[in-house]
Amino acid sequence: AKVSGVFARIGFQAATDEEALGFAECDDLDYDYRQGMRMDGVQTDDTGGEPDRGGMVEGDSHYQRDGAGPRGSQANTGTCEELGAQDKQKITAWEAGWNVTNAIQGMFVLGLPYAILHGGYLGLFLIIFAAVVCCYTGKILIACLYEENEDGERVRVRDSYVDIANACCAPRFPALGGHVVNVAQIIELVMTCILYVVVSGNLMYNSFPSLPISQKAWSVIATSALVPCAFLKSLKSVSKFSLLCSLAHFVINVLVLAYCLSRAHDWAWEKVKFYIDVKKFPISIGIIVFSYTSQIFLPSLEGNMQKPSEFHCMMEWTHIAACVLKGLFALVAYLTWADATKEVITDNLPGGIRAWVNIFLVAKALLSYPLPFFAAVEVLEKSLFQDEGRALFPNCYGSGGQLKSWGLGLRIALVIFTLLMAIFVPHFALLMGLTGSLTGAGLCFLLPSLFHLRLLWRKLLWHQVFFDVSIFVIGGVCSISGFIHSIEGLIEAFKYNIHD
Amino acid sequence: MELIRFRTLDSVGVFLCFLWLLSKVLSEQEVENLSGLSANPDKDIFVVRENGTTCLMAEFALITEQATLALPRGAEIEGKCGNTDAELYVSWMNNAYTFRIYFSKEKRTVGSDGKEKETEIWKINKVQLVYDTSESSHFINAYNPGKHTASTHRLSALVTPAGRSYVCTAQQTLTLLSSDHQKGITISMSDIQIQPFDIKSDFVFSEPYKCMTDQREQLEETLPLVLGLILGLIIVITVTIYHFHLKLTAPQSQLPRDRSLYKNIFL
Repeated sequence: AKVSGVFARIGFQAATDEEALGFAECDDLDYDYRQGMRMDGVQTDDTGGEPDRGGMVEGDSHYQRDGAGPRGSQANTGTCEELGAQDKQKITAWEAGWNVTNAIQGMFVLGLPYAILHGGYLGLFLIIFAAVVCCYTGKILIACLYEENEDGERVRVRDSYVDIANACCAPRFPALGGHVVNVAQIIELVMTCILYVVVSGNLMYNSFPSLPISQKAWSVIATSALVPCAFLKSLKSVSKFSLLCSLAHFVINVLVLAYCLSRAHDWAWEKVKFYIDVKKFPISIGIIVFSYTSQIFLPSLEGNMQKPSEFHCMMEWTHIAACVLKGLFALVAYLTWADATKEVITDNLPGGIRAWVNIFLVAKALLSYPLPFFAAVEVLEKSLFQDEGRALFPNCYGSGGQLKSWGLGLRIALVIFTLLMAIFVPHFALLMGLTGSLTGAGLCFLLPSLFHLRLLWRKLLWHQVFFDVSIFVIGGVCSISGFIHSIEGLIEAFKYNIHD
Repeated sequence: MELIRFRTLDSVGVFLCFLWLLSKVLSEQEVENLSGLSANPDKDIFVVRENGTTCLMAEFALITEQATLALPRGAEIEGKCGNTDAELYVSWMNNAYTFRIYFSKEKRTVGSDGKEKETEIWKINKVQLVYDTSESSHFINAYNPGKHTASTHRLSALVTPAGRSYVCTAQQTLTLLSSDHQKGITISMSDIQIQPFDIKSDFVFSEPYKCMTDQREQLEETLPLVLGLILGLIIVITVTIYHFHLKLTAPQSQLPRDRSLYKNIFL
């Protein structure tokens, strides 16, 4: 048995290239045991969940290393035994769709009519164009996770954004890419969480000005509702929150659209401009373009789907839906108020509807929080809390897959950290614009196209290369312009504060 | 003889002068402008003294919205103190502008559930501003040059329990109607501390009574801290409960923890 096990291992290593090192998370002893036993035709309980495969050569996407998603919640200890149990926790394509919708239809939809005010038809075009580009970059990012093996089948060799980055920098700097992507991801995710706390505090404060509760107090109240997020264990429960969030967003859309349609006779069709306001439009570009950022979540989502082949379909439909809803909302709201459109469209609404829209917006902000929080926790756990000295700290999970109590404490500490940042950092929206134009643009436009070119260079057709390069360039331009405007805005805001 | 008479007359005259001065000093109200003492550069302190002791003290910063008139330093102050009524007059620019505040003290019955309590309160019942539109430094091409008076109608502001001083850092706005074509003039007072009655000792305010806005702001500022403490308490309790829950329901491990034992079993 041992000899055949050795041969099996050699055969396996010959069949795949050095990416197989990624598989090495399986315990060596475990592996020997399983391969040896399988060659003898003995099925054991431990591998009962996995279908009877010829062994080790091709995986289908079921044979995945532990990494993101529900495996994070179960024993993240590197044994392959739990893989069979993963199928229970996998999410359907619909649930993945709700998560993506949560990410791309965010709070910034309220600023879109203002963008149309300053951008006219170009703004509308940009909404559609950004959806197409982001759908494309999402797909190429997931394409980077797969490699074709010798039999021509696609094998999922990498599991997360960090792995892709590491593979790209592989020869000379095997860990640098991963570190950069880790830092960018954590910043982006934590800033998103903080933004939701700030927005819910602000909305509540504006809805009830007669109560003696200040914005800070409302943020504390909102955070106390968000503390249970620390108990989230799987992407399935996060998907439920995303579903509710999408419903709330839909209700908001319906309310505002219905009100605008009731004033349809007043619409100012002639006021949609063909030219753009050069000073104010770049900020709107930022709002439009960076609102489609869902790429951070995609590797983890795709890895947890029951049928990853449905991924492309899901991406297309969610982006089409987002594009149509956003475009319609922006256009109709602009036509109703034309030149009087304010920066946040809820300021234009009359009192009664505004109160209801505010309530749903707060609900939406609170329900959107679990997704980036869960993703941030995953990224932190994978990079900082692993077993046996692979990372700085010991594993957060015990042997039964239970979260240790200090792990829970750390998660709650992250929630409190987002609260403290929300309370004490001034001009948070501007700061978010600043980091968004760096990390958001990087993770959504620059890095996917770069990695796609680097990893799949030999297999790309000319038009794909052209798309990748142009996306990289456009993304770079948007990023730089967004960065410059955010810096200008911050400097002005601080000057105003100092003089005040 | 003439010398003696002259000296007597002189001394009588001097003595009479002295008496007259003394009486003036004793009965005259001293008004002092101690504005140099305040920390806020726009704030002025006005004190009316009678019989050698302070009877009315006020400090505030005054601005008028329309003509950006502000009380300059060194304005002239006059005042009248009484048991139930008090007045404060501030004039500047050679009486081109005068700002007058009238205070009154009264008894109020606060009735609730059949029990009626009588409390004494004081308040401002009238504010007047006299301005001269022919004065060139603030008015250009005035429509109706001359002195006009703007006063409030049926005002009841700064209601405070008797024996206490009124404190308000927030801005209080009053609207005055002018005799000049009923024009409306808004004046704002901020950083106020006023006591027109029952000042116990010289230049010392009695116990302060905060205005509603200040009380609310104080509440608004302490509320986040209180809520934060409650949240922290809830979190500590939750983590402790979770910790003990884990300890109590720890699963029995079936497989040997140490994988080297595995090897011995099967190989």
